[in-house]
Amino acid sequence: MLKIEHLTKTYGDKKAVDDLSLHILPAEIYGFIGHNGAGKTTTLKSVAGILQFDAGEITIDGNSVRNQPLACKKEIAYIPDNPDLYDYMTGIKFLNFIADIFGISAADRQARIHDYAERFELTADLAQPIASYSHGMKQKLAIIAAWIHQPKLIIMDEPFVGLDPKAAHLLKGMMREVCDEGGAIFFSTHVLEVAEKLCDKVAIIKAGRLIRSGTMEEVKGDDSLEQVFLELEGEAC
Amino acid sequence: MLKILLKKQMAEVFRSYFYDAKKNKARSKAAVAAYIVLFVVIMLGVMGGMFTLLALSMSAPMAAAGLDWLYFALMGLLAILLGSFGSVFNTYSGLYLAKDNDLLLSMPIPVNAIMGARLLSVYLLGLMYSGVVILPAVIVYWFTVSASLGVIAGSILLLLLISIFVLTLSCALGWVVAKISLKLKNKSFITVVISLAFFAIYYFFCFRAQTIISDFVANAVTYGEKIKGAAYPIYLFGCVALGNGKAMAVVTAVVLALFGVMWLLLGRSFLKIATSSGKTERRMYRETRTQRKSIGAALLGKEFARFLSSPNYMLNCGLGVLLLPISGIVLLIKGRDLMPMLAMAFDNQPGSAAVLLCTAVCVVASMNDMAAPSISLEGKNLWLLQLLPVKPWQALRAKLSVQLLLTSIPALFASACAAIAGGLSAVETLLTLLVPQAVILMMALLNLTVGLKMPNLTWTSEIVPIKQSASVMIGLLGGMIYGILPIAGFLMFGHRMGANAYMACFMAFTLAISAGLYVWLKKKGGAAFAAL
Repeated sequence: MLKIEHLTKTYGDKKAVDDLSLHILPAEIYGFIGHNGAGKTTTLKSVAGILQFDAGEITIDGNSVRNQPLACKKEIAYIPDNPDLYDYMTGIKFLNFIADIFGISAADRQARIHDYAERFELTADLAQPIASYSHGMKQKLAIIAAWIHQPKLIIMDEPFVGLDPKAAHLLKGMMREVCDEGGAIFFSTHVLEVAEKLCDKVAIIKAGRLIRSGTMEEVKGDDSLEQVFLELEGEAC
Repeated sequence: MLKILLKKQMAEVFRSYFYDAKKNKARSKAAVAAYIVLFVVIMLGVMGGMFTLLALSMSAPMAAAGLDWLYFALMGLLAILLGSFGSVFNTYSGLYLAKDNDLLLSMPIPVNAIMGARLLSVYLLGLMYSGVVILPAVIVYWFTVSASLGVIAGSILLLLLISIFVLTLSCALGWVVAKISLKLKNKSFITVVISLAFFAIYYFFCFRAQTIISDFVANAVTYGEKIKGAAYPIYLFGCVALGNGKAMAVVTAVVLALFGVMWLLLGRSFLKIATSSGKTERRMYRETRTQRKSIGAALLGKEFARFLSSPNYMLNCGLGVLLLPISGIVLLIKGRDLMPMLAMAFDNQPGSAAVLLCTAVCVVASMNDMAAPSISLEGKNLWLLQLLPVKPWQALRAKLSVQLLLTSIPALFASACAAIAGGLSAVETLLTLLVPQAVILMMALLNLTVGLKMPNLTWTSEIVPIKQSASVMIGLLGGMIYGILPIAGFLMFGHRMGANAYMACFMAFTLAISAGLYVWLKKKGGAAFAAL
């Protein structure tokens, strides 16, 4: 589904991501953890095609992000850590805009918007301008917009930040649904308990370099993910 | 504390002069100097030059009639009008709608310090705009009438007092706008309507300026006596520049008192208004089936929604939408009286009327520059356009189309009116319709190109990319200069080849430039957009 090979991205003199390689298979929820500034967001943005990288290759379903960006973008959705959406649109106009770009039929979009907005209890607010939304409401709207075209790969940067417990629980269920249907999820989080319970595989990144990856059992063994993470980060437990 | 905030505010206002957002690094000293020189040329050369000519026509005759005070009062009022006119919405958005209000208010910073820093940028803008009127007036007076010590001290005081009064007036009006907008439903629309009413009054006075000034100079003594009797404060205001001690003391006291009242008023309401989310009625969502749009239509709809959501954007970048049809109607009504005068002015040069009418349409059309700030206005939303499966060119084309649609259609109407009013031949009519369209295409492409080359995606108030960015300044000025070219070129060399041939050549030249810009935007612009 997603192949990242020898990805390198430099900002000035600093290597934000250094020779990173990861493979994500269909039906996998892949967690991406690391301290602040480790290179998680840079990697996720590079995969989403919104950041140009210096070296390496990223392919989604066999298509190169660099050479076939449109083919890749049709298959993915991305939710940033801070969902800056079009404040001047109403929620429903924004969803219809996204649906238009992905060529979703009128009937399909209506059904999907109805379904997801009901699930996130956002239906009543869809006619309101996004400018009036709280952070959590924007996050919910970004999630609906991401799911509306039924992407094969969903990339999320700290998706649970700002969500209420009910919405967070709902999102976890939706992530599993995507994988059950053959899709894949690649997301970053600082909430290690969530990663431990939710992810099939996990990768730990430090200073732009991948320091461990694999199935949850391979990475943590008999310890908790938190213990392993802190040990790898060189912290005293 | 205030120093830190002032530094932040100034860094934001003048950011594009010192920082290249595209390369994410500071500009070279040469580039900074070039930007500053360009800015100075526009402000001093163009605007300052215009008011210097006005001052030259008035100062000596009025001083000879003993009405020096009236001269300063008139120029002072003009400076106040110009200074406060452009600052009302800037004050509102800069003071109450700045994106970092929440951040600053959450920190241990006195509210007065935040307000003070915000007001300084309003003050500087007001000083700049009022300065281009009153400074030439003062200097012209010094050189043509008197430069005694009293006059020098008085006129410098007048300059300072005007800048403070402009700030007070801008804040008062900005406060009114803020208060009203909290209770309005269709804020953008109503704001634009009110602003246009201001514009209408402003342009009415500008249009009549020559008549009013001539009338004033001819009947200066009579008007002077009337004003002195009925509007004594204006007399005192004018006397400040002459070094009149009583006038200086009274006007200074009044201006400072008004500023004090404004400061107290703002201090009391700033926190409430800056943190209020408004009391607009909640709209309930009713599920309906929406027709599917093409990608192009969806992107165009998004760009129109952006344009229509912001009074600042509409007023600063879309005035031509309204002025083009108005110009056409004015030409239809007044054209018959105007055309013989124009023919005489150009020595009955055959075809000069058509060239002049083309120029008029081009100049008014150049007031539309919505493509110039459109990339910067994406700001933090840029990730969406980069994420979605659309080609960068599709996103750019939507931005281009907004300017083309909003300018071409009104311009066609204006051109048609001009052709009817001018009684033009079939060929002249065709060229009058087509030449402005070619210029409009070129201007839209130019605006988008400079917007792409000089983006500012890190603004905290949308007024920065709309009003204070280098791309807008270059786009607007470039458009206006190019708009004047048809008649300038005709007078210099075009008349030798005949008006129609000249206009056809000019159109071909314009289309060639447009083709160059189009090819660049399509081939390299997309990559530049993707790399932002």
